[in-house]
Amino acid sequence: MAISYRAALSAVAMTALISSMALFAPTASAEMVLNRNIGTTISSLDPQINFLVYEGWIEEDLYEGLTAYDAAGNIIPGAAEKWDLSADGLTYTFHLRDGLKWSNGDPLVAQDFVNSIIRILDPATASQKNYIFSSTLSVSGAADFMAGKNKDPKSVGVSAPDDKTVVVKLDKPAPYALAYFYSFYCPPLHKPSLDKFGKDWVKPENIVTNGAYKLVENNAQSQAVLVKNPNFHDAANVKVDKVVYKVTEDENTALKLYKSGAIDMTYDVPTDQLDALKKSNPDELHVGPGLSTYYLDFNLKKPPFDNIKLRQALAYAIDRDALVKVIKGGDSVSCSFTIPIPQYPSPKPAECGMSKADRIAAAKKLYAEAGYGPNKKLSLSITVQSKASEKKRGEVIAVMWKQVLGVDAKVNAVDREAWNNTFTAGTWEAYGDDLVGDFVGPEPYLAYMDPRAEAGYNWESKDYEALWDKAMTITDTAERYKVLAQAEQLILDSYYLTPNLTEPNRHLVRKTVKGWADSPGDVVPTRFLSIEQ
Amino acid sequence: MWRYIFRRVLGSLPTLFALATITFFILRVAPGGPFSDNRRLTPEALAALNRAYHLDESLPQQYFRYLWNLLHFDFGPSVKYRDSTVGELILNSFPVSLEIGLWAMVFSTLIGIVLGIAGALRRNGMIDYGAGAIAMVGLAIPIFVIGPILQITFGLDLHWLPVAGWDGTLATKILPIAVLTLPNIAYVSRLMRGSMIETIRTNYVRTARAKGLGERKTIFKHALKGALLPVVAYLGPATAVTITGSIAIEQIFQIPGIGRYFITAAQDRDYSLVMGVTLFYGTIVVMGNMLSDIARGLIDPKVSYD
Repeated sequence: MAISYRAALSAVAMTALISSMALFAPTASAEMVLNRNIGTTISSLDPQINFLVYEGWIEEDLYEGLTAYDAAGNIIPGAAEKWDLSADGLTYTFHLRDGLKWSNGDPLVAQDFVNSIIRILDPATASQKNYIFSSTLSVSGAADFMAGKNKDPKSVGVSAPDDKTVVVKLDKPAPYALAYFYSFYCPPLHKPSLDKFGKDWVKPENIVTNGAYKLVENNAQSQAVLVKNPNFHDAANVKVDKVVYKVTEDENTALKLYKSGAIDMTYDVPTDQLDALKKSNPDELHVGPGLSTYYLDFNLKKPPFDNIKLRQALAYAIDRDALVKVIKGGDSVSCSFTIPIPQYPSPKPAECGMSKADRIAAAKKLYAEAGYGPNKKLSLSITVQSKASEKKRGEVIAVMWKQVLGVDAKVNAVDREAWNNTFTAGTWEAYGDDLVGDFVGPEPYLAYMDPRAEAGYNWESKDYEALWDKAMTITDTAERYKVLAQAEQLILDSYYLTPNLTEPNRHLVRKTVKGWADSPGDVVPTRFLSIEQ
Repeated sequence: MWRYIFRRVLGSLPTLFALATITFFILRVAPGGPFSDNRRLTPEALAALNRAYHLDESLPQQYFRYLWNLLHFDFGPSVKYRDSTVGELILNSFPVSLEIGLWAMVFSTLIGIVLGIAGALRRNGMIDYGAGAIAMVGLAIPIFVIGPILQITFGLDLHWLPVAGWDGTLATKILPIAVLTLPNIAYVSRLMRGSMIETIRTNYVRTARAKGLGERKTIFKHALKGALLPVVAYLGPATAVTITGSIAIEQIFQIPGIGRYFITAAQDRDYSLVMGVTLFYGTIVVMGNMLSDIARGLIDPKVSYD
């Protein structure tokens, strides 16, 4: 069969065309880019100075501390592959992995961690994390060094006896201390860059990092761009090549960016959209337990709030279930002061076991026993932060007090700085308070409630102090938790505060993002994530 | 003219000095300080921080220290934005606000003038009411309502424009400029309309008409110049306000401008940053007023600056 000349020519042309198209087809190994999202402009990426949450997410990708967190929030080896604790619980010895390098190839040594802690404590640095190593963990000599009383860094109890060993000496045992050695508190310091570039040492063209990523762009009000660090010790398992942290100061803008495909996850979700999103994006909406607890304080120094019966009456009159329903953020009822923690036997105040009718009856009875009733009305002010959910909390509590007891409560909403200042100044009667824990455990919450730590609550309890000191000597977690629960029971029984609710972490995460876990600590390092192609 | 400008600049210095002083002391009266937010700080830790920022000195001492640095053009360190100086923060963010603001002013002025003239010439007609309606919409509906509506319409539904963000491309500039243009159209068009109506009644316009110059020449060559005076007087300070950014636009569209600092720095009690942006804003307003007055001098033959 003869083929016409023309047919042959067209066949050749078609083949040539199709094969040349194949040349321009995208190759199978495309760069994996993850678009993440944070909720504030980037204030500082200086690892010894930054103490804010969202910048901390970026730093978790840039730096690795002695310990690290996996996606689910468990402590795993970081730059240190193992560690020991001395018998008296005062000395931590960290053993670094072999062959650690900075992103520019410099060897990473134990002294880099020592220099970092010293820099955090150094008064000249003016770091707002300085209290972590001088008070939360009482590193020996740290308090004096921080106050400028002793100017010799060698007086501080952190040292590097050799390139692979970091030794941290405490004055008081702190069995929870491991949580404070990850990148947010204990990143290593690359001293040559700091010395050479000064204030510009964290600019993308100068910065040297030791984590899974390095920084290539920092537009503080728009985005930060990170790319894989080939010198990271686990670089082989890091799948995402490039991470873009897009800044959105408004959660509604974040939601729109998510819907338009510009970002793969959001830092938060507008609470008034939660119900709609549960229906439209059920697999992508993640609302999981967080570290924030919200409670109401009574000022023990201002009569009549020094009367425990009155405090109990006011606490009993609050309907926690109804309160949580009104505040539509996906919050959970909280009867304990601490957040729900695995293995921790959370104590509860008396009114939590009661039926609604019993609780209200008891509230009225206590109110009368305190000397109040229809003839003698209580009026008070509730000081809250001016953000919407907190104003709501105050107003709902005021309404409940009015309905159950006939109390006249006025909500006084002020901006955040003034709100904190009011607490310190003691010019409050009832106070809408909150606390965000440093890690998943009862210790951060209960440490803060130690009368020796925060005098602003005006609460004295030698029993609490004794229980806390005893708990700190117990290294077995389950045993320690039992003692700490007894301490928390003292807080709840004194009714100088009444827990209201805990706030969840809220995110939208695309189904194509693999490796995400809802961690209460809300830190999901990008090195554990990947995108399904 | 240059003598006039020099005199104005010199005269603005006491104003700026007063601004600096009042702002400095008002800031200190506000409850709380830059570290109030961090309740975990122990008293010793807080004392160390206050010492580092000279906040433990007496107020007059801090004030004179601030003035001394100001004379060397040193605005001081920001407590929150530690990686940059206050000067760098302003210099990096102002150009963005300036770009959006200037375009918004140009468009709103042109549109406003056209609407105002049209309204004045065909009073109580369709164009007049139409222009008035557009003006009221732009004025009455807040930015944080119009902005998201446009985001959803053009970004999510039509996919014509990006929802938010700023990467220097034209697409990211369109929506913010559009939203910022709308309120100003109202002011300019109403001013123009009222002023034009008055100017048309003046003697010199009647003379021009009587001379047989023709409606077009009368309005656009002679009346317009006189009618523009109130608009020009308004534009100076209005431009100053617009180019220094709007926190609403910047947060809705995530624009890296300077507007947010005015609010967030005060909320954070970031003393240096508040002083820096306030003085910067004061300088811009002074310049805006001066340019307005110079423009008036150029337009109005009755005014001369020597």
